[in-house]
Amino acid sequence: MLKGDVEMIFKRSIWVFHLNTGGCNACDIEILDILTPFHDVERFGIKLVPTPRHADVILLTGPITRETLPKVVEAVNAVPNPKVIIAIGSCACGGGIWYDTYATLGGVNTLLEMLKKEYNIDVNTIYVPGCPPRPEAIIYGVLLALDKVKQRLKRVEYKEA
Amino acid sequence: MKRIKILLMAKKAGIVTEPYPYKPVEPPEGFRGKPYIDPDKCVGCGSCASVCPPNAIQVVDLIDKGYRRIELFIGRCIFCGRCSEICPEDAIELTKEFELASKSQNDMYQVVLLKMVKCKICGRYFTTQRNIEKLLKELPKDLWDTILVCPECKEKSTAYTGSYAKR
Repeated sequence: MLKGDVEMIFKRSIWVFHLNTGGCNACDIEILDILTPFHDVERFGIKLVPTPRHADVILLTGPITRETLPKVVEAVNAVPNPKVIIAIGSCACGGGIWYDTYATLGGVNTLLEMLKKEYNIDVNTIYVPGCPPRPEAIIYGVLLALDKVKQRLKRVEYKEA
Repeated sequence: MKRIKILLMAKKAGIVTEPYPYKPVEPPEGFRGKPYIDPDKCVGCGSCASVCPPNAIQVVDLIDKGYRRIELFIGRCIFCGRCSEICPEDAIELTKEFELASKSQNDMYQVVLLKMVKCKICGRYFTTQRNIEKLLKELPKDLWDTILVCPECKEKSTAYTGSYAKR
């Protein structure tokens, strides 16, 4: 759908905006870890920016609590098109332990549905599961967004004959 | 002079950056990565689903099809490893795989479908075939006629006769 646009913006450096939506900060520490010289993502042109208006990609962590929801919507709205969200951690991917509580949206999928319904916004999403994911896993996720690596995870089904 | 000093210091420290995407990284010993259900060992008892804190493993009986469905959703898994601790058959193991990023949630599922057997009395599907095979190995022969009876029917029969085995 938005693939051509994504390739177009990703030819240049990706600027990321780090958005915590009520997580426990473990994923945030891993994100800060990939910016240190040890992992050094600036060699791929990935740079942390302080405002969503400058960003290409939102690194979203946390299960999106009801309290943070208006701010998250505002931040996603502020990102220029095409919008890309990289959901980092189990909370952002599927809700984690809080997937069915009243106080959270239970992951990024509900947010995407809501954005589509209320604001008519299309968002490309990449899921990086892990609790928290290793810094290498986050780098792998960003490179997957760039189509530099192949996706390894596949749906596995088994039926007893 | 100052710059030369800094350069010398930098040379002393060397390059610390990991060459990750170009060279694979081996996670440390005891790392808990993606859980994997061995479909040949699993008997479908459902103890993993009962201990899973975020209900990433869910067990559902498809009664009209006669299959028990064990579904692992990696997107919600918190990699605590309780499923592999509790599994009586050692069918679940946490592999060292950590490159789990995917473009759709559909890729993050592992589904195992196991055949179920019917109750001798009421004819309803109630447990898996492999569970029965396991019970046949463990139970003494005089209790074998109670194996293929579902818990509800057992309750009913014991209410009238005292004990199913004595009847």
